[in-house]
Amino acid sequence: MSLLPPPERERLRAQYPDVFARPASARLATPAMILAAAAIFAFGLVDLDFSPARLLAGFHQLGWITMMMIPPDPGSSLPAYLVALGETLSIALLGTTIGALVALPVSLLAARNIVPSGIFRFPVRRFLDSIRGVDTLIWALVWINVVGLGPFAGVLAIAVADFGAFGKLFSEAIEAADKKQVEGIRASGGNALHEIRFGLMPQVLPVIAGQVLYFIESNTRSATIIGIVGAGGIGLQLAEQIRVLEWQKVSFLILMILVAVAAIDWISGKLRFAIIGQRALA
Amino acid sequence: MLVVEGLTCRFGTKAAVDNASFSIAPGSFVGVIGRSGAGKSTLLRMINRLAEPSEGRILFEGVDVTALRGKDLRQWRARSAMIFQQFNLVGRLDVLTNVLMGRLADMPSWRSLTQLWPEEDRALAMSALEQFDMGSLAAQRADQLSGGQQQRVAIARALVQNPEIILADEPIASLDPRNTRVVMDALLRINKHFGITVICNLHSLDLARNYCDRLIGMSAGRVVFDGAPAKLTDQIARELYDLEANEVMGTTSGEAPADSTIPALGTAAAA
Ligand SMILES: Nc1ncnc2c1ncn2[C@@H]1O[C@H](COP(=O)(O)OP(=O)(O)OP(=O)(O)O)[C@@H](O)[C@H]1O
Ligand SMILES: [Mg+2]
Repeated sequence: MSLLPPPERERLRAQYPDVFARPASARLATPAMILAAAAIFAFGLVDLDFSPARLLAGFHQLGWITMMMIPPDPGSSLPAYLVALGETLSIALLGTTIGALVALPVSLLAARNIVPSGIFRFPVRRFLDSIRGVDTLIWALVWINVVGLGPFAGVLAIAVADFGAFGKLFSEAIEAADKKQVEGIRASGGNALHEIRFGLMPQVLPVIAGQVLYFIESNTRSATIIGIVGAGGIGLQLAEQIRVLEWQKVSFLILMILVAVAAIDWISGKLRFAIIGQRALA
Repeated sequence: MLVVEGLTCRFGTKAAVDNASFSIAPGSFVGVIGRSGAGKSTLLRMINRLAEPSEGRILFEGVDVTALRGKDLRQWRARSAMIFQQFNLVGRLDVLTNVLMGRLADMPSWRSLTQLWPEEDRALAMSALEQFDMGSLAAQRADQLSGGQQQRVAIARALVQNPEIILADEPIASLDPRNTRVVMDALLRINKHFGITVICNLHSLDLARNYCDRLIGMSAGRVVFDGAPAKLTDQIARELYDLEANEVMGTTSGEAPADSTIPALGTAAAA
């Protein structure tokens, strides 16, 4: 673009003064913020005893452990490990499914287009928020104390934590649904259940299915972690072998977990594409 | 006989429909005309009870429709079938299921919710689809159809409701000229063939004059014209739409456009 003639420039400057005048405070804001962030970061490093010397010493140890891990070898425990891996996958699958099944009806109560009144919707939302605020790991510790060690506690932990997350996600999907389709059902003489069943669910279920699959994926990882604190599955085996310093078994277990997670990722990716793909391409 | 008495609908302080009164004989084809925002959609939505009237009554064959609740209300909605500008089909359901939605008010909920549609209802839906050459598309997903095809599905859905009135809210506003004819002819056929009353919101005066045997003109929520299309003189038509033309002029520059039809760069930027 060519240069504007000076009178035109003057006119624009007069008409939009805010665009041209950049006060000192605006110019200094960004550098000041970067400086403050750097200061907080440095303070954190000092306060948390960050020590390059210890890290270097640790590297020596890490190298040694890595050497001990090669080659990965399950010894005679392979069948037990496979059972444990199956247990972990079941924990993820069952926990996520139960969480989703319970969350679906509750999410309807948290959606504005189903329950317009804030007085009823608000407590449901807060309830879901508070459940979601507690991490899966903490739920696992809670349930281990309630129902004892083992996979049952793991399933409950994942179900409860996911219930909170799903409740929020589902209700958002429901609120984003196209109102016109629901109105079409109402105008034809459908009741509230018909509106949900035929107007809402066909729109919402594919979204929900995608979210559930994604959670199964990430819960395969969570189920391993909560196994370490005693909720059964392959995490328990891993914790055990680390404690007795069986590094070859540890590396084998880690490889098993990696392969399982990759397989689940792949399968759920395919499924999700099959569910939403058609729509996304259209 | 549909009787509307002093019907008013307010959103906040603004009256979208203001004290509308008229009655419509069975079997009429009535066009509702008026500029954008005149209250045409709100009027139709109140008759179907999608919008709540603030004042006034709607009577159908002596029954006060505005007082209906629950199952009676749902049955009234089925009897006054609504057709929308955006079709309002469920995109992810197939065409047949969309048409079967028109049967919801007449069957027990356990049947419809489990999709155990009675044989005769399926037959009814297929026959309605066939009348609009849509029989072969019954298994297609509704959102894979063209606009004209979707509107024909919506009309089939309305038809299986066994309606006494069809309320069509700008049914052709999203369609091309060919589909406009197809859809308007379908409405006319339903009107003449089954004697179903049609009340149709239209933007185009030409269409309104061609298809309707009575026109109701609305302006700012009020009924300002009610009579045969022949009585709608150019003078009245201009009054119905003129205000809008003035507004359109006012927002650009207030002056007559320059001799070139392409606006100069400066005026476009200023607008
Ligand atoms: N749900 C609503 N909430 C608030 N105002 C509304 C609502 N529905 C309609 N209105 C207002 O009521 C007036 C009449 O709207 P309506 O949709 O009935 O007009 P219309 O004649 O159908 O216009 P168009 O030709 O553009 O469809 C408009 O001013 C609109 O803004
Ligand atoms: Mg409208």
